This record gives sequence, C-alpha cells and structure tokens, in this order.
Amino acid sequence: MSELRAANTDLPTLNRELNHAWEASGLSPEGLFPFELALEEVFVNAITHGAQAGETRQFQMAFSHSGARAMLVLRDDAPAFDPLSLASPDVDATLEDRAVGGLGIHLVRELMDDVTYRRVDGYNELTLSKHID
Amino acid sequence: MTEAALKTLIEITAGVTLAVPVGRLDFEASTGFQQAIEQAIAGAGASAVVVDCAQLEYVSSAGLRVFLIGARAAKQANVRFSVCGLVEAVRRVFVVSGFDKLIVEHPDRAAALAALQ
Repeated sequence: MSELRAANTDLPTLNRELNHAWEASGLSPEGLFPFELALEEVFVNAITHGAQAGETRQFQMAFSHSGARAMLVLRDDAPAFDPLSLASPDVDATLEDRAVGGLGIHLVRELMDDVTYRRVDGYNELTLSKHID
Repeated sequence: MTEAALKTLIEITAGVTLAVPVGRLDFEASTGFQQAIEQAIAGAGASAVVVDCAQLEYVSSAGLRVFLIGARAAKQANVRFSVCGLVEAVRRVFVVSGFDKLIVEHPDRAAALAALQ
C-alpha cells in the first residue's frame, strides 16, 4: 500500500502511480478510466471535507488484480463518512433543477461493479472492483 | 506537474464559437475550463457555443459540473450550447449522469455546425 501526503497537488502523482500499476498488471488500457475517476472523486472528497487549514490528510491507495478482476482500495483519515449512504442525484431533473454537486460518488458506483465502505482504525476505506474485459 | 493537463482552444467562425478542450478535465483543470467556457459564452457576437470534445480524454464530476454551468449560462444568455465528438469513456460519464438528456449532443463537429445552419 503506497502512502502519500494528501494535498490537491498530489493527485497527479497518485494517478501516475495507478497508471504504472495498471500497465504492470497487463489489463486492457481501456479499463483504466473508471479507476482513475474513482481515485479522483474519492481523493477530492477526502481533501475537501473536514480538512482544516494546514492539516495534512493521510490518503492511501492500493491496487491489485486477480485475473480479470481489478481492485482498488482507497483509505483516508477524514472524519467517518460513508459516501454510499448518499442518495443518488436525480438524473432526470431538468437543466434548471439539476443539482450541481453530488455526482462524483454516483459515477463511481455506476462505473464500478462493486463498491464497499468500512470504517477501520480511524480510516474511511472504500474497496472498488470491476471485471475488465 | 509542470504542464497543464488541459488546454482549451477557442475558434470563432461565423457566429459560432468552438471551444476545444484538449487533454484531461479533472478537478485541477476544471477552474480554467470554466473560465474558458464562460468567456466563450459571453464573447461578443456568439450566438452558439459548441464544445468539441474529440480530444478530451477524461472527465470527472468536477468537469461535468462545468458543462452544467455552461449549459445554464448559455440558456440565460440566449446562446445555443452543444457538445460533439465525445470519446466512448467520456460519453459513458455523460450518459450515466443523465447529461445526455440535458445537453444537445452531436457525433462530430461537422454535424454540430450543420445543426446550427
């Protein structure tokens, strides 16, 4: 599990690391997109929610695969929060009524096969997996 | 990162402003993209804005948000707003978010321009 200091500028670093791990896995390059998206959405949420000025959040990422099943585990030490408890946005709302926020976790849930949350040792932990064709 | 992940090129032809985002529209890039889109809509003489996404490789919810803001701002300004050329992964994000029902979409630039004639 790689541990990196969490600040917005570190997202490109994390993303590069994910790209390298994906390349090494031999999985189809087309399958990477939902994992990059999940990393960004979860990272940005962890940084923007509950972090005080000057505070450093821990953010950890672990990528693995078993055959064609890719799995990403993301951990952060933000206050306990289960993003899966959020209601899905109304994707049928009109342009005027459509909420501007709340789309990130919806996208993650829709683009992954499986997403689970648990709070463990002071960390929010999301486990995301998907079968890659 | 020393190089911006996204550049937005602006082309103006006969009352239509084309905004062409090139690269990755992630959280960091979304502020600059929003400025570019807002300027395109507010630009003198523009009666239509087409966002040509053929070179857009990636979009997250932060980027989608800008499309929503842009579509609303355009409607208020009486400017026609459409997108075209979405690559498969980006299109999937649009569809899953229901944005295909909010924003006019064309397969490519030629079709988007033809629809404005």
